[in-house]
Amino acid sequence: MREKILSTLSGLRDYALEKGYETGDSSVALFYHQEDSHLMRFANSAISLNTNEHLVRLSITAYAGRKRASYDLITDLTRVEEMRQGIDIAAEMAEHSQPLDYQPTIPVYVETFIDESAYDAELAEFGNEQKLDYFNNAARGLETEEIKLSGIFSCGSNTLALMNTKSEHAQYFRTSDAQITVVLSHTTLKWEAIAEQSAQNRSELEPARLRQELAFLVEHYENDEPQQLPLGSYNIVFGPAATAEMVSYMNWIGFDGGLMRRGFSFLTEEDTGQKKLSEKFTLIDDPDRLQTFPLKQDFSGITRCAFPLFQDGIFQGFVWEQDDADEFGAQPTGHTVPHKSLVLQGGDKTVDNLIDLVNLPRERDVLYIPFLHYMNIVNPSQGIITATSRFGTLLLKEDGAVQVPYNVRLTLSLLEILGDKVAWLSRATIPYNTSHSYYARNPTAVIVPRFMQVDDLEISHSNPSY
Amino acid sequence: MLRQLRKHVDRLKGSGATYVDARWYPYEETNHLLMWNGNLKENASARESGLGVRVLYKGAWGFSASSDPSVLAALFDRALDNARVASQRVTFPVRLADKEPLQARFASPCQINPFKVPLAEKVAFLKEMDEQLNQEGVLQRIGDLTFMQKQIVFLDSEGSEVEKQITEVFAGLEVSGKDDVGTTHERKYRLGRQGSSRGWESIDKALFGENADRIVEEMNQVLVAPQCPKEDRSVILLPGIMWLQTHETIGHPLELDRILGYELAYAGGSFVTLDDFGTLRYGSEKLTARADATVYNSPGSFGYDDDGVPCKNTVLIDKGVLVGAITGRQMVEEANARAGRKIFSGSGGCNRASSFYRVPIERMTNINVDAGSDGSLEDIVRNTEKGIVLDGDRSWSIGPNREQFHFANEIGWLVEEGEITQVVKNPTYKNDTVKFWNSLSAVGDESTWRLSYVDNCGKGQPNQAMQAGHGVPVCRFDDARIGE
Repeated sequence: MREKILSTLSGLRDYALEKGYETGDSSVALFYHQEDSHLMRFANSAISLNTNEHLVRLSITAYAGRKRASYDLITDLTRVEEMRQGIDIAAEMAEHSQPLDYQPTIPVYVETFIDESAYDAELAEFGNEQKLDYFNNAARGLETEEIKLSGIFSCGSNTLALMNTKSEHAQYFRTSDAQITVVLSHTTLKWEAIAEQSAQNRSELEPARLRQELAFLVEHYENDEPQQLPLGSYNIVFGPAATAEMVSYMNWIGFDGGLMRRGFSFLTEEDTGQKKLSEKFTLIDDPDRLQTFPLKQDFSGITRCAFPLFQDGIFQGFVWEQDDADEFGAQPTGHTVPHKSLVLQGGDKTVDNLIDLVNLPRERDVLYIPFLHYMNIVNPSQGIITATSRFGTLLLKEDGAVQVPYNVRLTLSLLEILGDKVAWLSRATIPYNTSHSYYARNPTAVIVPRFMQVDDLEISHSNPSY
Repeated sequence: MLRQLRKHVDRLKGSGATYVDARWYPYEETNHLLMWNGNLKENASARESGLGVRVLYKGAWGFSASSDPSVLAALFDRALDNARVASQRVTFPVRLADKEPLQARFASPCQINPFKVPLAEKVAFLKEMDEQLNQEGVLQRIGDLTFMQKQIVFLDSEGSEVEKQITEVFAGLEVSGKDDVGTTHERKYRLGRQGSSRGWESIDKALFGENADRIVEEMNQVLVAPQCPKEDRSVILLPGIMWLQTHETIGHPLELDRILGYELAYAGGSFVTLDDFGTLRYGSEKLTARADATVYNSPGSFGYDDDGVPCKNTVLIDKGVLVGAITGRQMVEEANARAGRKIFSGSGGCNRASSFYRVPIERMTNINVDAGSDGSLEDIVRNTEKGIVLDGDRSWSIGPNREQFHFANEIGWLVEEGEITQVVKNPTYKNDTVKFWNSLSAVGDESTWRLSYVDNCGKGQPNQAMQAGHGVPVCRFDDARIGE
């Protein structure tokens, strides 16, 4: 398949050259995306949807000096004529476009780069029966007439290939991924418990771990009296989903150079080299971590290597994708990619799982928030986000008891949450799958500590029920 | 193609499927232009075509989609195989509410096809708007135009065949600037319904020019305004935020699949239970809300849904009491059976998919709030002792069961003793959903009612971004916490 994809792109490049679309000043760039997606979705303890999609997308960007236009199509490798027509359309659109006030860079790939290191055929083609087995194992014995199973097993492969008229070389990436979410919820009481996993390789699948976490949560949610928490300040332990969500928002309104220059960041150029977050906070974009479905070279052809964002809380600098770098006169940093490979380093606390956390001695009640639902940005330049706890929140009492609280809302600045109030991070880390795939499959995962405790955070709203 | 589709639909019926449908998109085209600070950052077009097949087998769904028309037989077979596997874990076998087979066509109203308008004309429009936005205080200027057109051919094993031709226009302007402490503030204008059609004719330079000046002026007022106080006040929501309040706390909680637990893995559930229909006082007596897909000229009006059911006008909340939901064929049957009573009489015609490669699910149509009898905005302000007028969606975050919410707005005007006193920056408001709607104390008249277009409502796994509409008046609520 790889050869067919690359030869098709090469043929399309030849066509563009023949048509005179490469003049030094004018160029055509081709971006091929193929997804083979499989999704088994559960609801009410049944398979509510079982789907698969095979989709091939070609995005063609044409440049005519400072003018630029793109034409995307969902197509198939056999429909070469349609793709050629797409090249003609993009070229004509560029011709009639309006010049940018900066010169966009068209990369010149100096050698062909192929990376399939994050591809595992066994995971990409994980079968229907195998998915069902996984779910049956993860929820074994936990479903009742009132406690129902929901969730997804999404897996597939993602193939990206790029070529342009500047050189005959190509870039080619193929990854496999799985995103698994298992939810148990009570049909009338409406509590919910979750266990999740991200996988890049079939060997990483571990339904037993998910079952263990779910069993623990269900035990408490089924038997404990829920309570509304009083508003006020709490020591909060965030689970991997919550931490990954916050890190993902930092990726958006934190260290992106283009958004900073447009006023949508809580960091400024003057913050570079300054301590902005907890000294326990070290965040790296590390494309060597296969569990993040990495791209080891960006779409501009820049080799990607570990890029420090925060070291011991000190901000190391903004990342720049090519177009923003062109517009604002910055140096691109190898971040012209559909997703980064963010890794929040673990700390020194030995807490490997939820049961370890519950058994930790504590001097004050601790609120455990595994998941932050529907996060949104209240004020980007102050880093203020808001979200509600969900999926298995626990109140770990000072005396060792465990209580079940209703959900609470946090409306706080990321600078506060990840600042000096961070008490500890677990040594153990875990990849958390943050894929959304609204449009095309784009597997993403953030590696985060399994647990992170932050002291003295205010909750701004406390639910009187689920 | 149609003949081949019909052949495969019949073949699968003969192989044991209880229901089969196919949605063929001969084409779907989009054209998106984005100008940012005078730069045409995006000049993008796209075209796709393909087929999605849905099969019901022993009470379970299977779905398969492809852009490759040469694999029709395999595509249908794959959908059936998927359904066969799914049938191993069935707790409530899927049944579909009855419908009459129909042969029908629908075309959305469009006078001037935006895809026939020269690129130069579109760019000139954006350039003109960009120049108009380029005023003192403005640091970022954004103008965008998005056009979509698609043809959908639906056929099912019950003998229905529907062809739809839909054209959409979405457009807007946005400015932002920084206050004296470096905080960015934005103000937006989004095109809503103008007249009786939505082709290129919707792009009215005078209308956009007028709104360009307004958003710049209002943003500049915010830049020098004091901070919104943190206290309890009445909130008066203009349509620019009232549409989102309606979307998030009436629309989503009343999607029947959410109520029945089909979205718990991701988007969440609903505080509403089946017992609540006919009894729950969702809001005050001033609240009547409906899912009205028969409204003319709106992305929430599409003729026939992707179950092949004609669009309907369904009352959701009648004078404050919950009476209806956003429904499709599958969910109404399951809800009635689970409730042990007939809550819903047939599908509400709300099942839609965002593309050929996504499966239809319950989606909002036009979720509207009826105009009331409390007069104009000025009348409502005059009758408010201590309040705040709010407009613009800056952020929105809603609880997992839609039981509570937090919204941030672009601008707020404090109201004291019946008069607007000053603009405030960083306004927000929050509350519990039912408590909030029950505090609805004034509903503006027809002069305040506006129909907003929505182009990106997200739901489902895999995610689907869907178009909808919201017709809402100015409303006042007497119980909200602001400034948090």
